[in-house]
Amino acid sequence: MDFKHTQLDNGLTIVAEHAPAAESLAVGFFVRTGARDETPEVNGVSHFLEHMVFKGTARRSPLDVNREFDDMGANYNAFTSEENTVYYAQVLPEFQARAVDLLADILRPALREEDFTTEKNVILEEIALYEDRPHFKVFERLMAEFFGPHPLSQPVLGTAQTISALRRGQMLDYFRQRYSPTNITVVAVGNIAWEALAEQVSQACAHWEPVQAHRLMPAVEPAGTQRWVRDAKLNRQHIGLMGLAPSAQSPQRYAAQVLATVLGDSTGSRLYYALVEPAIAEEASVSYDSMDGTGGLLTFLISDPARANEALAIARREFATFLTQGPTEAELTAAKNKIASASVLRGELPMGRLPAVGMDWVYRRSYTPLAEQIDELMAVTAEDVLAVARDYRLTDTTLLALGPNDKP
Amino acid sequence: MAEELFVHQLDNGLTLLGDRMAHVVSTAVNVALPAGASLDPQARPGAATVLSEWLFRGAGDRDSRQLNDALDALGCHFDQGVRSHFLQISGSQVHQNLLAVLEIFADVAQRPRLAEETFEPSRDLARQDLEGLDDEPSRKVNIDLRERFYPWPLGISPLGTLEGLAELSPDALRAHAGRTLTPHGGILAVAGRFEFDEVCDWAERLFGAWQGPPAPAIETAPAQGGIHFQQRPTAQVQIALACPAPPTGDEHYYPFRVLEMILGGGMSCRLFTEVREKRGLVYAVGARYQGVRGHAGLFVYAGTTPEKAQQTLDVTVNELRRLGEGLEAGELERAKIQLKSALIMQGESTGARVGGLVNDWYLLGRLRPLHEIAAAVDAVSADDVAACLAAWPARQFTASLLGPVELNTTGLSD
Repeated sequence: MDFKHTQLDNGLTIVAEHAPAAESLAVGFFVRTGARDETPEVNGVSHFLEHMVFKGTARRSPLDVNREFDDMGANYNAFTSEENTVYYAQVLPEFQARAVDLLADILRPALREEDFTTEKNVILEEIALYEDRPHFKVFERLMAEFFGPHPLSQPVLGTAQTISALRRGQMLDYFRQRYSPTNITVVAVGNIAWEALAEQVSQACAHWEPVQAHRLMPAVEPAGTQRWVRDAKLNRQHIGLMGLAPSAQSPQRYAAQVLATVLGDSTGSRLYYALVEPAIAEEASVSYDSMDGTGGLLTFLISDPARANEALAIARREFATFLTQGPTEAELTAAKNKIASASVLRGELPMGRLPAVGMDWVYRRSYTPLAEQIDELMAVTAEDVLAVARDYRLTDTTLLALGPNDKP
Repeated sequence: MAEELFVHQLDNGLTLLGDRMAHVVSTAVNVALPAGASLDPQARPGAATVLSEWLFRGAGDRDSRQLNDALDALGCHFDQGVRSHFLQISGSQVHQNLLAVLEIFADVAQRPRLAEETFEPSRDLARQDLEGLDDEPSRKVNIDLRERFYPWPLGISPLGTLEGLAELSPDALRAHAGRTLTPHGGILAVAGRFEFDEVCDWAERLFGAWQGPPAPAIETAPAQGGIHFQQRPTAQVQIALACPAPPTGDEHYYPFRVLEMILGGGMSCRLFTEVREKRGLVYAVGARYQGVRGHAGLFVYAGTTPEKAQQTLDVTVNELRRLGEGLEAGELERAKIQLKSALIMQGESTGARVGGLVNDWYLLGRLRPLHEIAAAVDAVSADDVAACLAAWPARQFTASLLGPVELNTTGLSD
């Protein structure tokens, strides 16, 4: 593995991890912008813009874009989160130049009014699709509740109201402020040709004009509310809990990952043994979400409505117990081995390495080879894990419940 | 692509399959036993799913917790799953831990404790999953469609029915396990980094003495078919359709996979272009080929709000019918590149490859090297596609729809 990076004069950064034995390569344009960077009136514009980026450029129609990706047999798509918008393509090595040219070109979209109107309908359908997915709804409402006035509370998709009201001019303004080369990192992994890559990106992007792209970083003050929202259409009781956790920049992030695994991995975790194995809850999981300057520990439970209180009480008791004792040595070892083995498995695939290398750079301006990442993980001690639980007050959570029950 | 395929038969009927890949450090393993949902006792649909959960609740010298902890300590990402024909136990880990994982899987397959006290929670998890289906409308229609489309019981839902689950007892399920957990017709497959001689030795030692009844036969009845609508207060109408397709191994198989790409592969495919890109009718629309032994279908899915649902159905069906009018310029070549490229890129995953081994063996009784598939795709001509369309036109639709409004489905009639 070989790491390379360079920066164009306009501020665009290119980073690459070369794996000569790979059969394919993956390239991603990581734009440091998402729902948290939107004003409330244009909420959802980041994600809508992500769709519009595939709708053509000065020299390509929307159908040209799709057809050219498919002509390469590319595995391609994009995703938008609270903090990032990422466009990517995995292709065979012979298509490197074409893939870079196409991705770079679509990052300067035409944003035609006619396409804007058609695509608005697609976004409204996507919002409707997630209306039928309770797990997603719990997550979205829990984020809104937890973050309160903080911009991380804004839903990535926006709402049917904000999307319906959005005008093309507002999207164009947002694009000009956020898609500055200073705010974009080009990430490549797998069987790449580095010199050629740097040249191809320079050819395609050197003329992009830089502007200052700011991100507001207000302090996070968790709401701590406990809200039960009745939804009579649902069969099962869905409960989400969220507490603070280390940020993406924190040295405690490895310990936080171990903490989440020990508490709520799908196998062999505290919540698995306390809730899933005895079938009190059908699902009980804890995950760690690291963000820019902050982080969250998210717990999800799904149970029979009649057993929701029991499941919740048990989960809370497990957290309280953990806070006094920390993990056992066996739990610590198992959690680290599971995380390491998952990283190794993902690391064998260009599409598995792309987000790891990309986010490392976007959040920390650093590159950590997989082996070093595993060394850092393995160095985590039981005290480190307990320290995260204590520092971030594991038992202080915001709750959002959705289902047949309207109260605990 | 760098790969080496291996096949070895144990005397007791268990088949060992291997796909050795250069440049990886992981090994994926899959133990597939002929205990899938289509072998569930008629009165007790859901038996295989409960059994798959129960199997991991203690085996050999380990109780439930020790078993789980042992696999976790090895960094093994394991799972159990029930499909039409097989009950599968799978795991992925670094290659150094393969033997230790195989030792545990050998216990799970041959010496599960199936203890009285762990039965009820195993059944209750299956019951909860089944009841949760109402909160997942897209999953619900796709499961319903499979049940109706395939000859009974090949597409039967592994989740079973509430009545079937209620009928189960520890004794009945132990008896079922005795009939279906057998090396005959079973597969042990590995993909990634390993030495096959070593795997054969380990398998001989760990599974060689296993004796079991012959693989149970499945008696099939004609597919139910038809168009089924379920009224539900969902935000979107769920539309799921299927029509017959050539099974794997059929002379029209590869041309049909080309057609599948033209209709539903990538974002330039016809369905995505006509339904989403040009008309903005949906977020999700797609088509995929799927099969069991001897039968296959083209499965099409779209989800959309009630006002747009009729048009979505009509445009979708029109695209299926329009396939019969032949290909447009560039479509054949693009589809072939997409198929070959996906083959290589998905082939980088040990987990995907081990699944491919089991599928090939079950559907064809042999393994296809990746270069053979690539050559077969390359060889597909426009004439082959025309012949395939003549033999397998998009007709005889089975459909499952769910949502607040019922649609006019006369367009689905032949």
